[in-house]
Amino acid sequence: MSLKRQELIAGLTMTGPWVLGLLTLTLYPFAASLWWSFCEYDLLGQPRWVGGSNYARLARDISTGGQFWQALGNTAYYAVASVLLSVLVGVSLATLLSQTIRGRTLMRTLCFLPAVVPTVAAAVLWMWLLDPQAGLVNKALTTLELPAQNWFRGTSAAAWPTSWPTDAGGRVFGSKDGLVLMSVWGIGNLLVIYLAAIGDVPRALYEAAEIDGASPWRKFLHVTLPMLTPVIFFNVVMGLIQSVQAFTDVYLVSDGQGDPAGATMTVSLYLFLTAFKDLDMGYASAMAWLLFVIVAMATWWLFRTSRKWVHQ
Amino acid sequence: MSTVEPRSPKPEARGRLALLFTLSLLLFGCQPVSETASQPEEVIFWHFWGGEDRPIVEQIVVDFNASQQQYRVRAIAMPGNNLDLKFFLSVAGGDPPDLLNHDEPVIADWAHRDVLLPLGEMATPEELDRLNDWLFPAAKQLGSYDGKLYALANGLDIRALYCNQTMLEEHSLPLPRTIADLDRIAETIAPPGQQEYQRMGFLPNPDRLWAWGVVFGGTFWNPAASETRSMITADDPKNVAALEWMAGYSQRYGPSVVSSFRSGEQALTGTSFLMLADRRYAVMMDGQWRLRDLAAARDTGAGGLAVQGEEDTPQDKFTVVPLPPPPGGVKNAGWVNGNSFIVPKNSKCPQGAWEFMKFWSGLDNEARAAQACADGGWIPVSHEVVNQPAYQQALRDEPLLNVFVELASSENQHPTPPLPVAAYYLQQVKRAAQNVMFREGTATPEAVLHGAAERVRLRLEEVLHEE
Repeated sequence: MSLKRQELIAGLTMTGPWVLGLLTLTLYPFAASLWWSFCEYDLLGQPRWVGGSNYARLARDISTGGQFWQALGNTAYYAVASVLLSVLVGVSLATLLSQTIRGRTLMRTLCFLPAVVPTVAAAVLWMWLLDPQAGLVNKALTTLELPAQNWFRGTSAAAWPTSWPTDAGGRVFGSKDGLVLMSVWGIGNLLVIYLAAIGDVPRALYEAAEIDGASPWRKFLHVTLPMLTPVIFFNVVMGLIQSVQAFTDVYLVSDGQGDPAGATMTVSLYLFLTAFKDLDMGYASAMAWLLFVIVAMATWWLFRTSRKWVHQ
Repeated sequence: MSTVEPRSPKPEARGRLALLFTLSLLLFGCQPVSETASQPEEVIFWHFWGGEDRPIVEQIVVDFNASQQQYRVRAIAMPGNNLDLKFFLSVAGGDPPDLLNHDEPVIADWAHRDVLLPLGEMATPEELDRLNDWLFPAAKQLGSYDGKLYALANGLDIRALYCNQTMLEEHSLPLPRTIADLDRIAETIAPPGQQEYQRMGFLPNPDRLWAWGVVFGGTFWNPAASETRSMITADDPKNVAALEWMAGYSQRYGPSVVSSFRSGEQALTGTSFLMLADRRYAVMMDGQWRLRDLAAARDTGAGGLAVQGEEDTPQDKFTVVPLPPPPGGVKNAGWVNGNSFIVPKNSKCPQGAWEFMKFWSGLDNEARAAQACADGGWIPVSHEVVNQPAYQQALRDEPLLNVFVELASSENQHPTPPLPVAAYYLQQVKRAAQNVMFREGTATPEAVLHGAAERVRLRLEEVLHEE
């Protein structure tokens, strides 16, 4: 057997398991869900072709402000708020933690710690912290003579952002804001990336800025921030995709129902309930594909606009 | 002289031996046990009971297995969460349990999907006739779809109003016999206008519009409707009136105050029954299973209840009344659900499953069923079981249980409509009521109920026209 043939066999043998996994666990479900999105399918019988009726149902839901439309709105709110806040908090924290101060390593460790807390434990912890009546966060707010907020809580209730202008009790934040806070709490992974990126900024740039008499704030604004933009861009794209897929924490805080009144019903949760509670696989697949298209378009838009704000 | 060394079998011979051994295992080793000896047939039974109920369930299984030789029930406690999904996956995989007990409104949906065996496949015509007369109307409705019985209920969940009599007496308030009484209790104990409340006289739960709609004289489905759309009647004016009454609480106290009050409830420690949580409510709707909480609190002195015999301890008295109707409303009405046995279509032992569900429900053995219901504080599905000495003793021991039992036999107790979209329907109505009660400036009760009804009508049309 020739050496080339031996190498080919060795290569195929080693990549085989991965290729098999890709075909059966990724590409097949991918193609199957596209097929099912044009079918009526309940797991028990054979999928039955129904053409575009699942997509027509989605269009009807969106046009009548139905549950999918509400879930899309909730997902957009959560994705935008959590991504923006995680960038803001992540960059600020990383900048502070990159300074040469005493106890820096300890502080970095403390900031990273929440990232290793399991999602379920974190969700339960935050449900307690943000409980509107007994939670520590509201206790702290009332101690500071600030109005207690109606954070998320189980099956029952929490405020809606729509109640902002009219709520006499000064309750500004609602159920989705609790979820956003949770997501920002666990930004340890992003922090590591930002810290590494700050470490890679050439010293010469800071030295040049100092020679020009730049203040620390101007150095941050005109040196650190532009040099961080490729990493910010990466984190924004990844954060957007992850936040659209957010499921575990949403499922836990909403008791698996998207309560209260659908305020925490995200697309991924609605998709899960449609597929595995209503056994409406076809409709759920259509939702998944529509979500895929929306996320792909958002990512494409981010890439397109990145030329204007990402340092090349 | 040459020596003969012991020879090991040739590799080919070893291979043949292994093949022969494997084949013999396949041929003889996997024969059904029942063919080799007169073993009882096994009935795999999935249930979701835990806590205090688990030992009672296990005892029922032990008693059934000891009562006959033909079947042996093996009970498997499944986590209740997503039990329906696990069941469906087992059906899709071709290996379902022989019997399942469930408490969600899924029977019509599953029957429509042709997953369940109608009871007529296992029961004799005489048994079916007897069952029809034997069951409470609500229990019969729970298991029916399209004119056939697909499930046998073994216990009903009935809701009524729990009242803290002591609290009411302190405010010179009567027990709620009318809707106006309830409103007065609410406004006296928690006058509107505050930003935060620690206790409420009464606060309707939006999830319970299913009960209040019926009490106001509404219906949620019309089984006699000639066309699919007309079957869904969530926007019945009486249901709208019920939701308007519920929304009145939200308007008086403010949606965010209402939602904030309710949202804090799960954080209350010490009890799962809110009537016992530092007098949180003077009146609230809940099911008969809360009597166990009251009894436990009586024993421990928790929740403002006295330890029996210790007279210095403050003592709250509790009672239970049916949901009070408005003028022109319906007495002894409400929303009922319960636990039901179902047999999947490819059950390996449907007859054993039928025998076991009869045993538990009490069709042929009312005394045994009465004892189980008494032990668990459950509501039986038939008068015949209620009338047994064991259950009569339970009613004497816990007089408040009488209210629930009387309600169970009422024709005005209705389950979620037995339609293939029942779970979706339940969710849509619940969401509509939540929208009205928890959100500022949302549409009127009439509009949200009409919207919910329209969505369910569309879904029902899609489901029924798929065939």
